[in-house]
Amino acid sequence: MMQQAKAFYEKYKVIILIVLAAVLAILPFVIKKTLYIRYLCNIMMYATLAGSLNAINGYSGQFCLGQAGFFAIGAYTGAALAKNFGISFWPLLIVGGLMAMVVGFIVSLPTLRLSGIYLSIVTLGASEIIRIIAQTWEPVTGGSMGIKQIPYPEFFGVDMFKPQNYYYIFLALLILFLFVTNRVLKSRVGRAWMSIREDEIASKSLGVETSRYKSTNFMYGAFWAGVIGVAYAPFVNYIEASQFTTDTGFNVLAMVVLGGQGTLAGPILGSVVVTVLTEALRFLESWRYVIYALLIIFMMWVRPQGLMGASNSMLAGGKIKVKEEKKKGGEAK
Amino acid sequence: MSGVPVLEAKGICKYFGGLKAVESVDMQVQKGDIFGIIGPNGAGKTTFFNMCTGVYAPTKGEIFLQGENITKMAPDKIARKKMARTFQNLQLFKFMSVLDNVKIGCHTKTKTNMADAILHTKRYKEDEKYAVEKSLEILESIGLADYKDTMAGNLAYGMQRKVEIARALALDPVILLLDEPAAGMNPNETASLMEFIKMLNGKGYTIAVIEHDMKFIMNSCNRILVLNFGQKLCEGTPDEIKSNQQVQEAYFGKGIVAGEAVKVNG
Amino acid sequence: MEYILNQLINGICQGSIYALMAIGYSVIVGVVGMVTFTYGEIMMIGAFSSYYIFTGLSNNLPLAILGAFAGSFIIGSIVYKLCYERFFNAPRHISLLCTIGISMLIKNLAQIVFGPDTKPVLNVIDNTTFTLNLFGANLNIRLLQIVVIVLVIVFAVALTLFFNKTKWGVMLRAVSQNKDASYLMGISVKRTALLGNCIGCGFGGIAGILLALYYGSVSATMGASYSTKAFAASVLGGLVDIRFSALGGLCIGIIENMGIIFTSATFRDVFAFAFLILILIIRPQGFVSKKGARV
Repeated sequence: MMQQAKAFYEKYKVIILIVLAAVLAILPFVIKKTLYIRYLCNIMMYATLAGSLNAINGYSGQFCLGQAGFFAIGAYTGAALAKNFGISFWPLLIVGGLMAMVVGFIVSLPTLRLSGIYLSIVTLGASEIIRIIAQTWEPVTGGSMGIKQIPYPEFFGVDMFKPQNYYYIFLALLILFLFVTNRVLKSRVGRAWMSIREDEIASKSLGVETSRYKSTNFMYGAFWAGVIGVAYAPFVNYIEASQFTTDTGFNVLAMVVLGGQGTLAGPILGSVVVTVLTEALRFLESWRYVIYALLIIFMMWVRPQGLMGASNSMLAGGKIKVKEEKKKGGEAK
Repeated sequence: MSGVPVLEAKGICKYFGGLKAVESVDMQVQKGDIFGIIGPNGAGKTTFFNMCTGVYAPTKGEIFLQGENITKMAPDKIARKKMARTFQNLQLFKFMSVLDNVKIGCHTKTKTNMADAILHTKRYKEDEKYAVEKSLEILESIGLADYKDTMAGNLAYGMQRKVEIARALALDPVILLLDEPAAGMNPNETASLMEFIKMLNGKGYTIAVIEHDMKFIMNSCNRILVLNFGQKLCEGTPDEIKSNQQVQEAYFGKGIVAGEAVKVNG
Repeated sequence: MEYILNQLINGICQGSIYALMAIGYSVIVGVVGMVTFTYGEIMMIGAFSSYYIFTGLSNNLPLAILGAFAGSFIIGSIVYKLCYERFFNAPRHISLLCTIGISMLIKNLAQIVFGPDTKPVLNVIDNTTFTLNLFGANLNIRLLQIVVIVLVIVFAVALTLFFNKTKWGVMLRAVSQNKDASYLMGISVKRTALLGNCIGCGFGGIAGILLALYYGSVSATMGASYSTKAFAASVLGGLVDIRFSALGGLCIGIIENMGIIFTSATFRDVFAFAFLILILIIRPQGFVSKKGARV
């Protein structure tokens, strides 16, 4: 069944994707309820953010926990510049992305010598430091008051204030992200990233400059997190430091892992599941986080590779586990 | 012997704390050699390879690749100087296809950067074409073309070893270091691998190989280095090695502990 | 000068709580071989156990400590069953995510069960302050601070004795050094790891009650920032070395309290993180000479 679906997809790939894009493009005309459009916007935003994290975690195997930090950099750069200098939204997308990329580069410097959990902690620490700076640097970030009334982007005179219009910004960014990432992954650069994920020593022995590629990988992920951060700020119209806690980072990570690391579609699916779930369970109030947490644990137990992930993926550990269990013999269950 | 040796080690040592894993070993691999390195377990063969390829920095001594000092160079730089290797315990990119594995071997021969990849520039297209053609050519020659889309980790063990060699060949190496290529293979596979290595050598590849299979070593190598307890026992042609008493002692003993034999040789 | 010395005292006191946290953390990481993100919540459970003993029964400190230890010990065993036992041979990120999930679970359940507001823990220890006159500077030491420091020392010594003098302690050390070899020696690795995890969590619980006493309050969300500090401290000890982890905890406590002399208290956490990152850049293996390779 899976095989057939896959073959079908491969055959009519272009058509399917165009139809999908067209459906997504006319959705705002079909769905009249603004609230639902807002949900869709959220889904696409988180899909891109999760995708940017996936570009790091899923492809070069560096376990970054601090994506919220890069996201915050983008959001604050965009909001502060738009508000104080009246710079237009569109160039800011790039500026915010580049800012996050620079920070990503700085964060990647110590991580090059580190691996595994140490790396994760440095990224987590960096994200917390960014948040605390955002909370205290009042002249620029508004301190704990945050930045309010961020100007809405304009597109050839059309005010993007309405979610129906904003929807297209997120859609365009998501499609652009997927398009670009797909191309990068199918090139020498992407292969180099994946080889680092699989076996860094072997990768080095084949002449891959692993430090450089790990660093560019970080910058790439950070760039997109920054871009989506810039787009996020006017959408919610108000940003403050508490939106960028480590829990936000974990939330994004959960989307990536639930959907499936190392697949392009995984983070999108993860974003859909998480967003729909948190909205649908809203009536449960604080119990919904309990359910969400249980879902994460449940997924790790039954399907660690995520919904989209292949059962034989590196990240699932399916095979590796079997092999090592054999090695370990009959250790008491 | 004429010309600059392809790979030369001058008195290299590696100490892990108090353990002298490799103790002042000299070696010269000439162009066109199949150079065998043998020795009992723990003789320091793999450590020696790791120093040559830059995984470990030698404690003392120098290593030259085609006359160029590569001591303490990073592994990826050394790979750029066209030294390729395989690993004792198979370090394939298990969850990538065979073709992709070999394509990564083309990394140093291509130049695509991220911008090229995003914009699909001419360089990207040329590089991809080169990588695919080169990889397919290698896979063809090694007899794995049918498996190009298989996940490398799903192949039989002997085939995985071949993929690793194919990956190394994609570097267009001036010297190929094979660390126990026949480990875990059955006699048939070993024989075909031996043929393959000889064939590569015939094509002009210089090869250094660590192996335990004596038949393999004696039949295919033209020069052999014997290590024992980190020290060089002797070096020579297969016939010289066979008749060398010290080697026989190291392998079979002579009624005293092997350690004594080492002391005698200083 | 007076201020700086007083901050130093605060730093030492806070640092000793961090040291206890770090000890527990490195016991967990050492024995289980995997890091955890639940530690902050474990401490919170410990703190709440003591809170309910204080309010429900009496202001009996030993009893509260026992309760905190037991409470977090039990939670620790649940965490072990859910996050580690299944994933010993799986890629590390799976158990890591499980611990993140558990952390969210406990935190949110606690907010529902214990309530979201901060609860006071007061008058457990007399609010006496001793003033020491040292070279003309007045040093204020609270009775509470002395109690905290003494307790930390007592528990650290007790754990060291446990590790060195008892059969279980030796087994725990064996498992933390080499699981395969321990298994071959007939040690039940899983049971030992469970015990190690629970003891580590128990120490976290005790650290939690000390935090509750020191700050005079408990809340369901108190764990988050401390878990990262426990982690930072034990990274300094190479994640597995108990003595150096304790030293790391002490260092972080002192650095934080010294750091806020020059800036505002909001930067407290920045110092801990910046110090951690700095250490990781200079000496990734922490203070210990041997590299904690498993993680």
